[in-house]
Amino acid sequence: MNTALGVAGIVLGLLGSVFGTLVLGVGLVRRNPTMVRSGRSYAWLVLAGALLCVVAMERALMTDDFTVKYVHDHSATTTPALFKFATMWAALEGSILLWALVLAGYTAVVARRERDRFADPLVGWTLLTMLVVAAFFFLLLAGPANPFTSVEVPPGYDGPGPNPLLQNHLLMAFHPPILYLGYVGFTVPFAYAIGALVTGRVGEGWLVGTRRWTLFAWACLSAGIVMGAWWSYEVLGWGGYWAWDPVENASLLPWLTGTAYLHSVMVQERRGMLRVWNLSLLCATFSLTILGTFLTRSGVLDSVHAFSASGIGPMILGFFALIVAVAVGLIGWRGDRLRAPGRIDSPVSREGAFLANNVLFSGFAFVVLLGTVFPLIVEALNGDRISVGVPYFARMSTPLGLALLFLMAVAPVLPWRMASGELLRHRLLWPSWVGAAGLVLAVLLGATGPSPLLAFFLGGFAAGAAGRQLVLATRRQGWRGLVGRANGGMIVHLGVVVMAVAIAASSAYGRTTELKLRPGETAEFAGHTFVFRGTEQQVLSNKDVVSATVEVDGRPFAPALNRFKFGSMVIGTPSVASGPLEDVALSLQELPSAGSDVVTVRVIVQPLIVWLWIGGGIIVVGTALSIVPGRRRDPLSPTSALPGDGVPAPADPVGVVG
Amino acid sequence: MTATDGPADAGAQDAGPARRRTAPWIAGGVGAALLLLVVVLATRVPADQKPVPSALVGRTVPRLVGTTLDGQRFDIDDQRGRFVVVNFFASWCVPCRQEHPELAAFVRAHAAAGDVTVVSVAFNDTPEAIRAFFAQYGGDWPVISGDTGPAVLDFGVSGVPESYVVSPARQVVAKFIGVTQAGLDAVIADVKRQGGFTDPAPGPAPAPTRGTSR
Repeated sequence: MNTALGVAGIVLGLLGSVFGTLVLGVGLVRRNPTMVRSGRSYAWLVLAGALLCVVAMERALMTDDFTVKYVHDHSATTTPALFKFATMWAALEGSILLWALVLAGYTAVVARRERDRFADPLVGWTLLTMLVVAAFFFLLLAGPANPFTSVEVPPGYDGPGPNPLLQNHLLMAFHPPILYLGYVGFTVPFAYAIGALVTGRVGEGWLVGTRRWTLFAWACLSAGIVMGAWWSYEVLGWGGYWAWDPVENASLLPWLTGTAYLHSVMVQERRGMLRVWNLSLLCATFSLTILGTFLTRSGVLDSVHAFSASGIGPMILGFFALIVAVAVGLIGWRGDRLRAPGRIDSPVSREGAFLANNVLFSGFAFVVLLGTVFPLIVEALNGDRISVGVPYFARMSTPLGLALLFLMAVAPVLPWRMASGELLRHRLLWPSWVGAAGLVLAVLLGATGPSPLLAFFLGGFAAGAAGRQLVLATRRQGWRGLVGRANGGMIVHLGVVVMAVAIAASSAYGRTTELKLRPGETAEFAGHTFVFRGTEQQVLSNKDVVSATVEVDGRPFAPALNRFKFGSMVIGTPSVASGPLEDVALSLQELPSAGSDVVTVRVIVQPLIVWLWIGGGIIVVGTALSIVPGRRRDPLSPTSALPGDGVPAPADPVGVVG
Repeated sequence: MTATDGPADAGAQDAGPARRRTAPWIAGGVGAALLLLVVVLATRVPADQKPVPSALVGRTVPRLVGTTLDGQRFDIDDQRGRFVVVNFFASWCVPCRQEHPELAAFVRAHAAAGDVTVVSVAFNDTPEAIRAFFAQYGGDWPVISGDTGPAVLDFGVSGVPESYVVSPARQVVAKFIGVTQAGLDAVIADVKRQGGFTDPAPGPAPAPTRGTSR
């Protein structure tokens, strides 16, 4: 029953996307508006197909229908209901299904929002692009990643349950869907970019619409990445939150190019420049999401959380090649025609700062991509197997991050076109005092080392620049000074500063040790007192849990080890106490063995960790505020801010988007 | 990544009415670089078909003696002159189920030539569960069960599944965490090509280790 429903959904989605593509394609080539308009309705068929699949899958999971292979392989009757639900995205086939659902949702929303503009070929090509992408994902579901294969089950069969690591934390239910909303969301601006390239109409009009889509996708991706880091910190128990693992890099790459786009698109809106570059960034962002999917799902790279190998690698790689060929071909064909006249007057200007920002972000993306695929390239050249580790990424990303912080401090006060030295002195006075205050405070609190101190200074500097803009804007416009692109963007900057300071502090001043304790024994570390009280065993339906009670400064901690039924591994549950200044994390390493009553507990004390998650929250709030239309600009007012004007970049020039 | 023409072109456009044709060249260059990347990626062997490093590789195989499910005695020393794949597994382990069909296909493919012995060493398991496992997932080769702790320790097994390929010269030539038929065949072909198996005497012969073939 569930198998039949699911297969029906796949067929519906596949046929809907293929026929939609054909109808739109023929209609667009023959310039038949009726046909193009009718192509719109196929988006709903695709959405219906995806929904049918997901409903069938969730129904099978919740009712323990082990005749569905995916449920058979990845779920168990003893799995708690929440994690049964989340099992849909705990393994490869289900994650492709989630991808298809999100993509179908976006396609339907685009078809709905643009319903009155289907006379415009650009919109037709946009929807066609989205349907082609949807067709590809349904093809994966129909072929190598079919989750609805049926299996014979012996009576009394119970499944193994999802990977133990994935049923240990509530975040598992939210992190993947939100990450996918971000990942897949970049399909929309990409589709518009392809539409613009095909029709040769790189007016600024489509950009305003895509900026919103990109902001939404970007906010979801940011939230997803931060949630992933949080999950890693809470569950894995090694005290870190980012390991430069291929899967993490795969999510960071489109984030970097997407961030570059969000900045450089403003240059296009204001000055009409960088059109081809912006289109390229959108194509790159989408290509990188597909490349990331390939790297993490084809099994070419070893990774702690890569999906197990399957036959879908070649298909995804083929699709990546197709996207690259189409995008590069279109840009090569149209590039010269689309290029805008005009040049940047002075490097010390808003557009100059955006250019520098783009160079840094693209460089960052290149560094991360190179580090991720370098082992594969070396192996192809001489057969050696090497791995690129954290030191490479740390060495490369520290200067890039510091340079970006510096730009964040200076760019918001720069006017468009050209800045005078006197203006800069005037506007940078306040922010630099904040930076100096940050530095003094850090030194007083005992901070040492050049990079962290520089990070604290530049962080304060950047926060000062963002704060200055927000203060000026709210003074003039009241609460409206907090919304709109420029002001919301400054709030995002504040969130980034908070995260940057937290990253610098936690990575530079974290301390870790391993304590071996007998019951009742006391130990001291990093200014804290640890007393081990004893262990406790708990037998649950899906796992046995042994926890050790350790009092830290009188507060009870209970790090535990979980042994899952059917699992070959033992998974630790760290116990973390977060404070505004410091986190103490305990993870149980070893239980008392025969003849001994000593437990081994790893203690990790890191400052300011909690501000990482708070900073991530600020980023999301700031992005949401920047999507809210800001002050509408009078069409007659000059496009550049007047000298001395406190708000250099007026808010969204068009306001509401259709 | 797709293009690097942006920042440069912003300032390059005041040259007059004649537009320079730069976009096709830049796009072509970027496209060619990406094509190379695709080719590199397309020719990679999945990571799970590659052996993993192990201190045991290059050394003489540890002693492995035990009783199989059929009640026969198995001694790895009797297998001299053949390749042996020692597969540590457990019927309760999920990845073991995934690799099992690969192992079964490998055994079938070498049944005629008779140049390979596969022996599974069950870890923390019962004979009934193992028999049910083989009945469900197929395959028929010796399985050592019972007290396999010493073997697990001698091989330095840290988890199941793990497999060790032993050359006819009794040297451990590769370790896999999860095997595939192609991965095993690649290692065996590699050892055969290097001729490391012609000398049956265990000695300080250079160890044919990890394969570079794909």
